[in-house]
Amino acid sequence: MNYTELLRAMVPEAALVIGALFVLTLDLAFGRRRTLESRLYIAVITGTVAVVAAMYGAFSSGLADSVFGGALILDELTMATRLGVLVLAWITLTLAGSTARLRHPAEFVAIVLFATAGFTLMAAAQQLLVAFVALELASLSLYILAGFDKSKPESAEAALKYFLFGGMSAAFLLFGFSLIYGLTGSIELHEISAHLAGHPPTPLLSVALVMVLVAFGFKAAAAPFHLWAPDVYEGAPVSSSALIASASKLAGLTLFVRLLWPGFGPGAGNVSTAAGAPGWLAIVACLSAASLLLGNFAALAQSNLRRLLAYSAIAHAGVMLLGVIAAGDAGNGPLFYYVFTYGIATVGAFGVIAVIERTSPCQRITDLAGLYRRSPLLTGCLAIYILSLAGIPPLAGFFGKFTVFAAALNLGGLAGPAGWLAILAIFLSAVALYYYLVILKQALVVAPAAATSSDPVTNRITVPADAAIVLVFAALVLVLLGLFPSVVLRIF
Amino acid sequence: MSLDPLPLCLLFSSALFCLGLIGALARSNTILVLLGIELMLNAANLNFIAFWRYGPVTSPATGVMFVIFSIAVAAAEAAVGLALIIAVYRHQKNIRLQEANRLKG
Repeated sequence: MNYTELLRAMVPEAALVIGALFVLTLDLAFGRRRTLESRLYIAVITGTVAVVAAMYGAFSSGLADSVFGGALILDELTMATRLGVLVLAWITLTLAGSTARLRHPAEFVAIVLFATAGFTLMAAAQQLLVAFVALELASLSLYILAGFDKSKPESAEAALKYFLFGGMSAAFLLFGFSLIYGLTGSIELHEISAHLAGHPPTPLLSVALVMVLVAFGFKAAAAPFHLWAPDVYEGAPVSSSALIASASKLAGLTLFVRLLWPGFGPGAGNVSTAAGAPGWLAIVACLSAASLLLGNFAALAQSNLRRLLAYSAIAHAGVMLLGVIAAGDAGNGPLFYYVFTYGIATVGAFGVIAVIERTSPCQRITDLAGLYRRSPLLTGCLAIYILSLAGIPPLAGFFGKFTVFAAALNLGGLAGPAGWLAILAIFLSAVALYYYLVILKQALVVAPAAATSSDPVTNRITVPADAAIVLVFAALVLVLLGLFPSVVLRIF
Repeated sequence: MSLDPLPLCLLFSSALFCLGLIGALARSNTILVLLGIELMLNAANLNFIAFWRYGPVTSPATGVMFVIFSIAVAAAEAAVGLALIIAVYRHQKNIRLQEANRLKG
């Protein structure tokens, strides 16, 4: 047990927590007589400093196989996920600073920072206790963020649903962990893996694995545990939805893949051939297929923009689970690339919604009508995000899908379920293209609604400078990572 | 015939977990749903203690440490849950889950 080592490994979390406390103190001491705008501005600036300090900490902490007796791991995946989560949190914070109308700005920023500390800890966890505590720190913060808009009943309802589903999944996770602890006598992933490799699987172990998978299905919004996602995306404040949809996914998938392959790897079974050994891969494959089918087909029926993004998130969760299946063979590169670029595109799309909502409501898809006249900048950025989500070639979303599908097909070709799952995902991408183009048709082609076209000057959307910078940054990241994917893939 | 304590503890905690799950799924009063979730969490805590006391454990205090942390997490979860229930109550003047149905589609 080396405490200086632990301290160096946890610089990002320390920076974020100190930053959050500092934001609260600053607001309490000097915020009394200031306007809401200036309080939000100060809180966001302080929060951004904390996030940048955390980025530096994550970058400089170096690599280590086992920190503090195996509690944490600092490998390439940890560093990449930490930096990715911090970039997504930075984009969310900046967007919240320029668009949010909040009665408690400092508390909002502080809770975003606490949630981000949970995400970065999830990325480094290598032990069931650290994983559980990190996941709960992130989840509890996200429940509060979902219910942050006290003036809207939808926000409270969304937060309550999110909390009830999330609380139940936490109970499943804890029960599964307790059985794994009992059966293997350890909570360290290495020792669990060594024990599983030396002993035949028991029925109780299958129960434990199923419970852990159910819990992660809830967290990743995979069908059939997706019910909370559309309601939360629709009801929560836009900046909270952006964080829930992007950074939380990235951290959750990283924890998931680390728990499954290094921890429970010997119980994986085999889905690359038709008559493979049974194991948790079969369950993950079922979840993936269900999410792909349900997400894509339910999204076709949506008229609400945010619910559509939620169902598309469920469909993307299906592809991510396919990436988890392939990660045992192809490494974590394809999965990380896919989830990170998905996060950037989603946070950007929610950012565009947030900027539009400053001037007019933006819930229905038809609310986007005539966006090309109201703000060309927003339209251009939105087009890049949506096309990246759909997977159109020069953008990062295409290459993400390509690497994940290629990795899944490499497992055993079409000899087993994994290959056919990839084929199913490729076909459903065509379905997905339809509902993504419906969004773009409203934004690019349809004329503005009658009431707005009479007075196009006042209906112009002014984009705040800082929001414009992060939106253009996100679009640039998608274009550049699409052109040079090896920048990310080379890390692994 | 001597009764082995570990299977008894596991049976009891599984029963507690199922009871909590049924309560969480079947109740319409939000506070009772929250109680069900707490029951499920405590069933898991009981498992940890049982495995720590009677199981083939290598590390001396792992189970107890895990329980202490998870009790703290459950307390935080209850606090957040009650706050959200109050937020819903402010808008719809009751805490029945059937009436929280603004969001659907």
